[in-house]
Amino acid sequence: MSPVTAMYVAQAIHGLTYGMLLFLVASGLTLIFGMMGILNLAHASFFMLSAYFCYQVVAWTDSFWMALILAPLGTGLIGVFVERFLLRKVQQYNLGHIGDLLLTLGIALVIAEGVKTIWGTESHQVVIPPSLEGLVSVAGLEYPIYRLFIIGLAAAILSALAFILYKTRLGMIIRAAVSDADMVSALGINMPRVFMFVFGVGTIMAGVAGVAAAPMLTVFPGLADQIGLDAFVVVVVGGFGSLFGAVVVSLFLGELNAFGIQFIPRLAPVLVFLFMALVLSFKPMGFFGERDD
Amino acid sequence: MIKSKRNLALWVVFLAAAGIAPHVLGIVKTNVLVELAGFVLYAVSLNLLLSYTGVLSFGHALFYGVGAYTTALLLYHVEGFPVIGALLLSGLAAGVIGLILSPLLVRVTGTAFAMLTLAFGQLMFILCLKFREVTGGEDGIAGYDVPNLNIPGIASFDMLDPTVFYYFALAVCVIGVLIMWYITKTPLGQVVVGIRDNTLRVDYLGYKVPQTKAIVFAVSGFFAGIAGSLFALFQGIVSTDGVLHIMVSFYPIMAILIGGIGTFFGPILGSGILIVLEDLIMRYTERAELITGLLFIGVVLYAPGGLLWLWRGLMAKLFGSKSQPASEEVEA
Amino acid sequence: MSENILETINLFYDYSGLQVLTGVDLQVEKGERHAIIGPNGAGKTTLFNVITGMYSPSRGKVMFKGKNVSGFKPHKLSRLGMGRSFQITSTFHNLSTFQNIRMGVLSRMGIRFNMFNRVDKMEDVTKETNAILERINLKEETHAPADALSYGKHRSLEVSLAMSTDPDLVMLDEPTAGMSRDETHSAVDLIRRLTEGRTMVIVEHDMDVVFSLADRITVLHHGKVLAVGRPDEIRNMKEVKDAYLGHRREV
Repeated sequence: MSPVTAMYVAQAIHGLTYGMLLFLVASGLTLIFGMMGILNLAHASFFMLSAYFCYQVVAWTDSFWMALILAPLGTGLIGVFVERFLLRKVQQYNLGHIGDLLLTLGIALVIAEGVKTIWGTESHQVVIPPSLEGLVSVAGLEYPIYRLFIIGLAAAILSALAFILYKTRLGMIIRAAVSDADMVSALGINMPRVFMFVFGVGTIMAGVAGVAAAPMLTVFPGLADQIGLDAFVVVVVGGFGSLFGAVVVSLFLGELNAFGIQFIPRLAPVLVFLFMALVLSFKPMGFFGERDD
Repeated sequence: MIKSKRNLALWVVFLAAAGIAPHVLGIVKTNVLVELAGFVLYAVSLNLLLSYTGVLSFGHALFYGVGAYTTALLLYHVEGFPVIGALLLSGLAAGVIGLILSPLLVRVTGTAFAMLTLAFGQLMFILCLKFREVTGGEDGIAGYDVPNLNIPGIASFDMLDPTVFYYFALAVCVIGVLIMWYITKTPLGQVVVGIRDNTLRVDYLGYKVPQTKAIVFAVSGFFAGIAGSLFALFQGIVSTDGVLHIMVSFYPIMAILIGGIGTFFGPILGSGILIVLEDLIMRYTERAELITGLLFIGVVLYAPGGLLWLWRGLMAKLFGSKSQPASEEVEA
Repeated sequence: MSENILETINLFYDYSGLQVLTGVDLQVEKGERHAIIGPNGAGKTTLFNVITGMYSPSRGKVMFKGKNVSGFKPHKLSRLGMGRSFQITSTFHNLSTFQNIRMGVLSRMGIRFNMFNRVDKMEDVTKETNAILERINLKEETHAPADALSYGKHRSLEVSLAMSTDPDLVMLDEPTAGMSRDETHSAVDLIRRLTEGRTMVIVEHDMDVVFSLADRITVLHHGKVLAVGRPDEIRNMKEVKDAYLGHRREV
């Protein structure tokens, strides 16, 4: 393999890694939006919060694997609390979407400021566990093991998620609820509990992404910014509630990030938002469906 | 009659208080008031969209930023460009952007509108960040001189004098807010509120909904641009983080919600609370935004109508006057 | 024989593969009160929505005042002189009764984009609005928000809003839906008074309302016109009875 090809392949894996992380964040966001009609502006904040939890758990126990389990669970618990006690309360008011958007915006602000208050404004390093350190050589190319680990982890979660959604009764309910929540509710299914479950799982997935990202991106207050905005693009462009759309657009954005920066450094991010604006302007119903009333 | 007398009295008190404020408060606090004046204008311009048209914008910083950059660029490249000219051109530039975007903006409402405005806001942010030859990138534009405000044959005001600038900002803010208030009382203002309540019915009564909304976007953009221009004149530096950052879009939303959504004057109250609170808390902690964030959540959860309604409800309970429906304020 | 103010010519409407209207030829004469009836699923509401510009016809034409208005936007139809009411009450719920009616009065007077004059200082607008409120017996509720009105009064406001632009043709979609006997009675009175000198088309389930209001009736069945005639003619027509009875048997 020529050095140039090798560089491209490395770049592609870079993009794939970010794309997979983005998918973990965006898939929860799109499921929550598709089902509950709530665009959770705090979703990426949970990603960041989990990265901080990871840093803290590693600092206490010295174990990344412990963090990989505890941090997403802690984040998920907070997510469930937010759904059960805050979102549900706001939905009783007659504010429409504005209520959800404002509440989750407030939560995003509080998390953003909260992490600064607790952990300071500096960035924190999380060390890659020894077993995932270093490079592995495949077909004459050297890959960082940790990136391959992220890709594998995300792929495993994607498979599990697809299995739940398409092969279980619960998944059937969730998919039905994405297209018509009232109908499913009329069938005698406890929708609030399903909502809480989906919200919790979505947050946990964002949390897993946060832990996975922590050693790679370091932990700092602006960690949620880019992935948060990118996740909105994924939801809009990929189609509301569409897991498949989320996968495709996430990976596309990951690669656009990796290669676009190289070839069209000025226009790559512009193109992303321009594309999102065009989709919203011309297909708002197609992507937001009847939910956006 | 009684009401107009009371209003007159309120105006006299307000103008007197505003007039002596810089002499009582000192320069540092006066600068906070200058900030407040610009912010009030900005929040009220957004409120035309949120409370009157019923759409939530996550990209209002776009207009604020266009106004700020227009002023900075004019003053940077054209020495001695008249201040009032820069102010009006900045508003105009932002208003025109509003008109240009309106064919797309009028197509969506609700969450889609919020996301679309977010996308446009981010687009402008990135464009200004990347085209650094024009905008200076993240460093922004600085080092432009603000010339004196000349009223030919009458006076020349030194805009670098904080007290003078305070009166200037106050005048711009009061005039801008009054114009917007007046517009809400015109037939157009009525139709806009009708669109918020029932878009389809407005259409069936013979009004052109998209065109009406486009006018509101232009007006709202115009005054947000003026507010941005005030910022540029006051700070002497305009950068992407200062005027186009997503937080710049979120702040006025907080002010509106804290003061009272669905009211005209609530956002002014909210702006005051927000700015003064931040200034106060800043002295004790670096993390003032945490407190405002918590206050924001508290308002969403426990007083979704905002503090103005909470206050009115309290008054109604204490004095037994009948409470008004949420619409009266917006319409009557 | 007076001219037709409204006419549909061979009107078709498909809804995702389903043919709801299959060649409707409707004629409404100027000045008459015309009712459209038919068993459930006959296409009444769809026909109503195609005429009022909610949907575009798949085929065929809608002629209003001799002009082809197929696919016209609602505001254009309104400006040509067509008004409509909604089956599900659709007023400006946060606005007062006065402000609701004023919305139509402003449009009628062509004041649609004015942002330079205060609306409460426009005396002719205020006067006209008050006159309408007087006529529809909502004078006492002038300042009440539409949402706070009783069901019957809210329905009256709904119907009156359709007429606030002073249209030549007013289309009423089940104006008495959900009303009590008494409320229906006064609503019919109100409609009769307000449509004086206009053409009215009404879609209605309540046969008492239809027979007491309509000068002529068109019966729709399976997306086609089954019969047209005066109330007494329609009442005795065998095809009409069969259509309704047949439908009842299915249920």
